[in-house]
Amino acid sequence: MNTIEEKLWNYIDGTCTPAEQEAIARLIETDEVYKQKYTELLVLNQEFASMELDEPSMAFSYNVMEAIRAEQLVPLKSTINKKIILSIAAFFVLSILALLIVILSNVKISGNLFSGLDVKLPASLKLPSASSIFNSTLMKSFFVFDVILALFLTDSYLRRKKAAKEA
Amino acid sequence: MQSKLSDIELIEQTLAGNQFAYADLVKRHQRFVFTLAMRFAKGREDAEEIAQDCFVKAYRSLASFQGQSKFSTWLYSIVYTTAMTFLRKKRVDTDSIDDEGTFVQVESHESAYDTNNVENKSRSYYLNQAIEQLLPDDATIITMFYKGEQSLEEIAQTMGIETNTVKVKLFRARQRLKEKLERNLKHEVKELI
Repeated sequence: MNTIEEKLWNYIDGTCTPAEQEAIARLIETDEVYKQKYTELLVLNQEFASMELDEPSMAFSYNVMEAIRAEQLVPLKSTINKKIILSIAAFFVLSILALLIVILSNVKISGNLFSGLDVKLPASLKLPSASSIFNSTLMKSFFVFDVILALFLTDSYLRRKKAAKEA
Repeated sequence: MQSKLSDIELIEQTLAGNQFAYADLVKRHQRFVFTLAMRFAKGREDAEEIAQDCFVKAYRSLASFQGQSKFSTWLYSIVYTTAMTFLRKKRVDTDSIDDEGTFVQVESHESAYDTNNVENKSRSYYLNQAIEQLLPDDATIITMFYKGEQSLEEIAQTMGIETNTVKVKLFRARQRLKEKLERNLKHEVKELI
């Protein structure tokens, strides 16, 4: 059950229903106890509202901006660069296409499934053999680059996740 | 001079890469954020550290602010979480009666008695002194309600509790603050006699 004080605070804050509001207003007018308490709480309410805010040091905002600059922070939205995403996508699409071409060129279909089909590549076209490609320095450096790229992306993902968690 | 732009406009400019806009946001909210931090830290240095940390965190995740609530409500929830973490860490670090916060509080009492002159002390001085003696949660609710222009619903959102709980907590916090205020004033008068 609400005490007089609780009812009056609700009345002062305006958090009670219109019916309660009306009832309390009537009580303040007629009941001396309510009237006295209401006056006391009103004074207290004004006093609480007059509290002063603390002031940080003069260099506060400068220090905040310096901390942001020092960490080279950027709001997350501006870190998402569409060009980077597109170039990564293009890189992977090209890699997949290159692998598909190599694989298809080395596939030998036996049996009479396509016996009626006689596909011959032009004699002038010489496809590289898979073994020579996979042994080449170019392929090795391609894989090393892939690994570095994967590590870099994982690292930036984890950093963003950590930043979001801290916030 | 502070910017006349709204919080939302300043946020948009910040997200577009204008760091000065964020500096304006900081200037606009720094007093309240610092005061909230003071409710937990009880020391200016720690409070500045908490407040600074809050603004850096807010900057980092500014893009995640959807604008569904006021920026201040969103910012205060960061302050509340950061300050609570600070308090928990401090409790683990010290975990004794010689806690730095206790010391600061006692020290502030003593300094009050040193300059024992009721006439020279305004009512706001006693009010601030009484607020300092409240529990951080009570002091935070009182501050947010009276100075943060926050409704009970917004305070509930900031503190992650129900609106009715905030209402009850606010009522109790006011009672405790009233008691502390009366006790401090009575004590001062006694000291003079």
